[in-house]
Amino acid sequence: MSEISALEQDVARLIVQTLKLKVDPASIQPEAALFGEGLGLDSIDALELSLAISQTYGYQLKSSDPEIKAIFSSLRALAKAIEKNRTK
Amino acid sequence: MHDTPLIGSYNPDDVLAWEYGGPRTARQFLADVFSLAESLPDRPAVLNLAASRYEFLVGFSAAILQRQLTLLPQSRAPQALLRIAADYPDSYALTDSDEAIEGIESLPIRSQGGRVSRPMEIPRVPLNQLVAIAFTSGSTGQPMPNKKTWGALTAVACATGSRLGIKPGERAAVVATVPHQHMFGLEASVMLPVMHGLVMHAGRPLFPADIRSALAEVSGQRILVTTPLHLRACLTEGVRVPPVHLILSATAPLARGLAQEAERHFHTEVHEIFGFAEAGSVAERRTIDGDRWRPLDGVRLVQADRSWVVQAKYLPAPVRVPDRITVDAEGLFVIHGREADQVNVAGHRVSLGDLNQKLLAVDGVEDGVFFFPEEGSELVTRLMAFVVAPGKSGEEILRALRGHIDPVFLPRPLISVPSLPRNATGKLPRESLQELARQWLARQDHGA
Repeated sequence: MSEISALEQDVARLIVQTLKLKVDPASIQPEAALFGEGLGLDSIDALELSLAISQTYGYQLKSSDPEIKAIFSSLRALAKAIEKNRTK
Repeated sequence: MHDTPLIGSYNPDDVLAWEYGGPRTARQFLADVFSLAESLPDRPAVLNLAASRYEFLVGFSAAILQRQLTLLPQSRAPQALLRIAADYPDSYALTDSDEAIEGIESLPIRSQGGRVSRPMEIPRVPLNQLVAIAFTSGSTGQPMPNKKTWGALTAVACATGSRLGIKPGERAAVVATVPHQHMFGLEASVMLPVMHGLVMHAGRPLFPADIRSALAEVSGQRILVTTPLHLRACLTEGVRVPPVHLILSATAPLARGLAQEAERHFHTEVHEIFGFAEAGSVAERRTIDGDRWRPLDGVRLVQADRSWVVQAKYLPAPVRVPDRITVDAEGLFVIHGREADQVNVAGHRVSLGDLNQKLLAVDGVEDGVFFFPEEGSELVTRLMAFVVAPGKSGEEILRALRGHIDPVFLPRPLISVPSLPRNATGKLPRESLQELARQWLARQDHGA
């Protein structure tokens, strides 16, 4: 299993809190899929999550972003995008 | 008048749609429709799964010209699509991506804005032609078909437009966050603009920043067709958008406070549409003006036994209203809540009986029930479910359910219990389920 960064841990907690998931944030595999088969998230979750990310990190997600699929593909990818684009 | 034109009043070079790649004129649109119509297989029915609103419209129109029925699934869950396809033998699917739908023959729509030399000729469609079937969930686990004639779709579009004061020739642009396979989406984001000669934006923006971009892409008057969920997201984010002429919301009740805030933020009027797949759009109100809904012209609410039905010339038979309502002497009505079995999650209505049937059908599930908790502060209140399934993990059950129900209805959380509090007659009173949910939440808070 790969190392998990502090930001990844924070984002995992944000996901679980925002979406009221019944999982331990520490159990989210950094490389596993968030949507579809993995955690089974849908577009409403994406919307809720985007608001929480914007409020916490000041990063506004856009689905016209060509990377959007990749950004939401896993906890690791999402944390990386937040790291790159955060304003707070 | 036995037939009407496929599109409203457009000059050949008027923009009909705004695609990702740029504008599509009425002339290009018709060329795309004719070209696709020629290449469609000779089949009775087609599942139109196109993600782009423009490609959807091209596919829908081509199917109409070939007298093919367009099937509008409520859910993209693979089993739900297969079940519909099985009910309509010889049906096929139209998509606008390279996505293959397992078990269903799929054809891509590839509109290339082909050049046309012939003069623009707008085909006419018989009012009594059956053009679409919108599926809803019934209490038996089978999708219920709701048949739509061309006459019904065009009548609703015209009645909505006239109520909202939309004038053909003003050339407003409609940007919509709702799916076009959904009945309200088809009526308000496809039929409404196209029947009034407006510009239809092909996208389906999700995030507030997407909504801002889509609105910025079109010019002139802008109409935003959306839901309470997206409005709340825009307000939470405080997104600054270009001037909007009108906001139309539907699929779930809009709180008056949210409507007030949205009117202030967008500097425009927020109107709501009340409707349901069986009848289509039924009534309208400006949310801040009060609770009462005014039926669209041509629609009447009539009492039948203990419930109310919608009557309209374009409906072959009266349709029962799935909500508890009271109607005043002027024919205006107030909604008091849903009928017991019906719930609405993020604008998708479903019968709890239907969901329970699907849960009980999962291998290894001995007993189970879905429960809709009191609505809280989150954007969307989700369903929860209690299940008695010794030896099955929650993951396994969710995986099995995922193939059969729309992801929006997947229980969150799914809670394993040793037994359900059934009473002597085998029923599960709502109070007992509320208590079970309360106990579970208390344990969660305690554990956290």
